[in-house]
Amino acid sequence: MQDKERESTYKEYLQVLKECSPYDFSEYSDNSIDRRIQKVMQDYNLDMGGLIHKTKTNPQFVEQVVEAITVNTTELFRDPEVWNYLRVKLLPGFKNRPKINIWHAGCSSGQEVYSLMVLLDHLNLLDRCEIFATDISKKALESAKTGQYRYSYNYGKYLENFKASFDEDKAPDFDKYFKADEANDTISVNPDFLKKVKFVKHDLVKGELPFYNRVDLLFCRNVLIYFNSNLQAKIVQRLHDRLFPGGSLILGSHETISGFLNTKFTKKGPVYTRSDAFHFKY
Amino acid sequence: MHDADFKIVVIGGSAGSFSVVSNILAAINPDFKIPIVLSLHRLKHLRSGLVEGLSLKSLIKVVEPNDKDKLMPNTVYLAPANYHLFIELDGTVALSTEEAFNHSRPSIDYTLSSAAYVYREKTLGILLTGANKDGAQGIKDIADKNGYTIVQDPLTADIDTMPKAALRLFTPNEVISPKQIVQFLNSLPI
Repeated sequence: MQDKERESTYKEYLQVLKECSPYDFSEYSDNSIDRRIQKVMQDYNLDMGGLIHKTKTNPQFVEQVVEAITVNTTELFRDPEVWNYLRVKLLPGFKNRPKINIWHAGCSSGQEVYSLMVLLDHLNLLDRCEIFATDISKKALESAKTGQYRYSYNYGKYLENFKASFDEDKAPDFDKYFKADEANDTISVNPDFLKKVKFVKHDLVKGELPFYNRVDLLFCRNVLIYFNSNLQAKIVQRLHDRLFPGGSLILGSHETISGFLNTKFTKKGPVYTRSDAFHFKY
Repeated sequence: MHDADFKIVVIGGSAGSFSVVSNILAAINPDFKIPIVLSLHRLKHLRSGLVEGLSLKSLIKVVEPNDKDKLMPNTVYLAPANYHLFIELDGTVALSTEEAFNHSRPSIDYTLSSAAYVYREKTLGILLTGANKDGAQGIKDIADKNGYTIVQDPLTADIDTMPKAALRLFTPNEVISPKQIVQFLNSLPI
């Protein structure tokens, strides 16, 4: 019974949040949202009543809650086999195109934005790219804009992922793109890259898109897993609408498009391509 | 005693557990119906290949599930590298990339606790050898929900940190060897 009570309480809280803030987490995946709200209550030493009160009366606190309940873990070249595939199979297809529009939806602290830029530069495609990167978390975006990450914990993994994203022994120097400074505990992205990206705060669930362009490449990796099936379907439809026909959507390695929407894409390797096939409207 | 009507088997393990799990899956009744969920720590440089490795000898199909996959009978689900795996109330899998827990992703505690929350006394939890305390709290959570708990006998473990951490927290229903674990599983009605 205790669990039932707990469930209704956190759902009640999400309702409060929805009513008195611009955010709607009511269709986030139950388990993850419940756990993260528990953690907020623990960290701020609040019971549910206190949490609701503070949420209603303190807009700054709401932003802190949003930071706490959204997940911001990412890494450079996460899942190297995906980047390898993009480098060999997908990106070379753009070599005769004058312009490439790219959107990273849910970019977090930006590691995958820069990972893609490395590959685009490596293939001499970067100059013709227009890159948008959006996230719900202001803090994550600030970090993304600096292009600076901690050396400790990360360096070994980042370097290994980087190398594994190229053919054996054919990887460019890591230093060409990143300055690793152990003494200052930083890994910094090539400053030329930073200027090229338009980082914008945007809530995939509610917000109007902050740009009008349709895109050729859309990255939305390990974002949908935090939504329930209903919301997943809604968001995938929106992503679909933002793609040019023939444009590509890259999801996380263990995310899939299910149900009817699946027929609007063709999948090859890790890439979902918006298909041009005619669809009946039901 | 257990009522033998389990809806899920969740197994956690770390250092040394690959061969234990592999041997369990090689000796299990091929018609074993109850979904088996594995939350195993992986060596950093061995991110892929675990599902293939386990499939070699397994008598039951082994898969790395996608997010929202429904747990099906006669299938082994392995938490994908670099993701936490949770069981949801509707019997589906939820994956998460949130921070490592107990320095681990997947975290065994997360998987085991979520199974306990969903299946309660219908949960069979098994904790194997390992060099880390992750999993101890999770299997205790299963016991707290009146699920059935088995901890590998530390004397038979490659590294006994994990089973010993569990035994410090609570007294499981069984403390047995890998061989006895297989016998236990195969004694369950199909």
